[in-house]
Amino acid sequence: MTSVALRPVRSIAARLAAMFALAALVVLSLLGYVLDRELAAVLRRQQMAQLDTKFEDIEYVLKRLRTPEQWQRIHAKLDALTPPDRSTEYWILSSDAQIRYGSPPDEVEAFAAGGARVGELRIGGRAEPMMVRSASFPADALHGALRFAVGVDSASYAHTRRAFRSVLVGSVSAGVALFAALGYLITHLGLVPLRRLSHEAQALSPSALSQRLVVARLPGELCDLAQSFNGALDRLEAAYAQLESFNADVAHELRTPLTNLIGETQVALSRERSMAHLVDVLQSNLEDLERLRSIVNDMLFLARANQGERPQHLRRASLAGEVERAVDFLDFLLEEAGVTVRVQGDAEAPIERALFGRAVTNLLHNAIRHAPAQAQILVEVSSAGGQARVAVSNPGPTISPEHLGRLFDRFYRVDAARSSGDGASHGLGLAIVKAVAAMHGGTVFAESRDGITTIGLSVATV
Amino acid sequence: MKILVVEDELKIASYLYEGLTEQGCSVDVAHDGIDAQHLALEMDYDVIVLDQMLPGLDGLSVLRSLRAVKDTPVIMLTARDRVEDRVKGLQAGADDYLVKPFSFLELLARLQVLTRRSRRQDATQLRVGDLVIDLIARKAMRAGIRIDLTAKEFSLLTVLARHPGQILSKTAIAELVWGISYDTSANVVEVAIKRLRAKVDAPFHSGLLHTVRGMGYVLEERQGQ
Repeated sequence: MTSVALRPVRSIAARLAAMFALAALVVLSLLGYVLDRELAAVLRRQQMAQLDTKFEDIEYVLKRLRTPEQWQRIHAKLDALTPPDRSTEYWILSSDAQIRYGSPPDEVEAFAAGGARVGELRIGGRAEPMMVRSASFPADALHGALRFAVGVDSASYAHTRRAFRSVLVGSVSAGVALFAALGYLITHLGLVPLRRLSHEAQALSPSALSQRLVVARLPGELCDLAQSFNGALDRLEAAYAQLESFNADVAHELRTPLTNLIGETQVALSRERSMAHLVDVLQSNLEDLERLRSIVNDMLFLARANQGERPQHLRRASLAGEVERAVDFLDFLLEEAGVTVRVQGDAEAPIERALFGRAVTNLLHNAIRHAPAQAQILVEVSSAGGQARVAVSNPGPTISPEHLGRLFDRFYRVDAARSSGDGASHGLGLAIVKAVAAMHGGTVFAESRDGITTIGLSVATV
Repeated sequence: MKILVVEDELKIASYLYEGLTEQGCSVDVAHDGIDAQHLALEMDYDVIVLDQMLPGLDGLSVLRSLRAVKDTPVIMLTARDRVEDRVKGLQAGADDYLVKPFSFLELLARLQVLTRRSRRQDATQLRVGDLVIDLIARKAMRAGIRIDLTAKEFSLLTVLARHPGQILSKTAIAELVWGISYDTSANVVEVAIKRLRAKVDAPFHSGLLHTVRGMGYVLEERQGQ
């Protein structure tokens, strides 16, 4: 036996690892997004708090202004408050050059003109926007109307956020990779019993049909699979055994007529014979040949039915009507056997008349051969649950259950000694009934008790 | 009747030639598809017996090229009894088919049906020897004496009398009398013939109804009995 190593397109472990990685990516990215938003909000609050503090400082200073000479001191104080990197800036806007402080860019001038407000301003020369808060004082004895503003640069906050983001992206990527790797490892470990099962299945040899997979050590999920597999093996073994015995039966069935043919012909040719004698031998040969032909034809029919061939000309017909036709055909045999037939009930079903007629004829012929003289054969036609049944009952010796189940097997005979002889039957009659039932979507049944044997078939009614 | 037999199996070809010639037919034999095609197209046959599996050119191709030109009746012989094979043959224009192993009698019967299909005379009375069957009154008389027959016995006798001197197989009789077209192991025909013989032959000094062992039955008047 050659084994071709097929490279799997995708392994289960790789698929699961990829799915783990995808799940990790989704979860971690969501988490990262939430954290990033939260950090942004916190930083914004901090920046606002800082801005408010600075604003309150300058507002306090300006409110305590008493004399014009104090502007000098205020400017000095603001100089001291402004950090060297100018991340915080103070501006006082006034027409009086003595009061003005800082060199407010145009954007700030325009913003402060709006009065008391807070906002983010992009200012030329700065990489990041500034958070600016402005207010105005009305004119009084000491000075004319003036406005002032405080700006806090966002650069340090933006930097913090950038640093956080790069750490976030790095750790999410690492997390996803780790999930994938762990997922692969876990799946790989989890699949160990499956590989063991596969090795066992590979070790099954076609010559030892009774070998089975060992179910005991398998986890529950695989147990079902292994049991189904073993079940399939059981059925295969049974089918194989049936085939073997069928082949033996066929050979045996063919052997008898062949022996007759060869022997009779040899004896006839071994000596000068009269014409009449030779004609007699040829005629006897012809009988055996007809027998061979009918066995071969029936076996081909059964083989085709077994391969799932379906009837070609289904037509709805009254089953009791078909039974009556078969009874009419068998009328001479019934009279000779001194047996009568009663047909009871009726049902309609789509059938191929030749096939169905053949099955019913076989059933009736079987009943005639096993019924005692003066007996009545009862044919009951009924329909229930999508199946129409034809049951043929005849009084006769009860058949034991061991035989009953095998009545429909090819070449099976209840009485092994009666295997050949009368030539009336070669043991395929009931097998043909079963094949016809199967071709019509039905089945066969047999029961035997208290001296009444009932054998029949069903066909689908739709 | 002029018949072309196309069959690569030599034994079959040879017994078909012999059997059909003895029936009074003029028989040509071809052993491969190419010869067959040539003969079938060149000559005019009453019927062609054509095997499906042939060397050179298979039977279906021969049939198709024949059907492109003429309507000679064709019986296909096939070793494979599958529905699709049959359908293929009939679709290609075959008039009938026979599955191997087939019986010679069956082939003869089918050939007769194919060539006589159109010219069948409806007699009202059949005669074999001193047996007279009145088909309208459904009565049978032998040597002037009325024979009392059941309906089935009467149809059996009629079927045999319609083919005087011709051997009818049990299968053919079952089909003609009961319309049973399937094989059965029931020996109905044997029993029926036995009963008919008891009424038609036994009371009279000569027998008309003969058994040809292994083949079937024939109704004819034989001299010297």
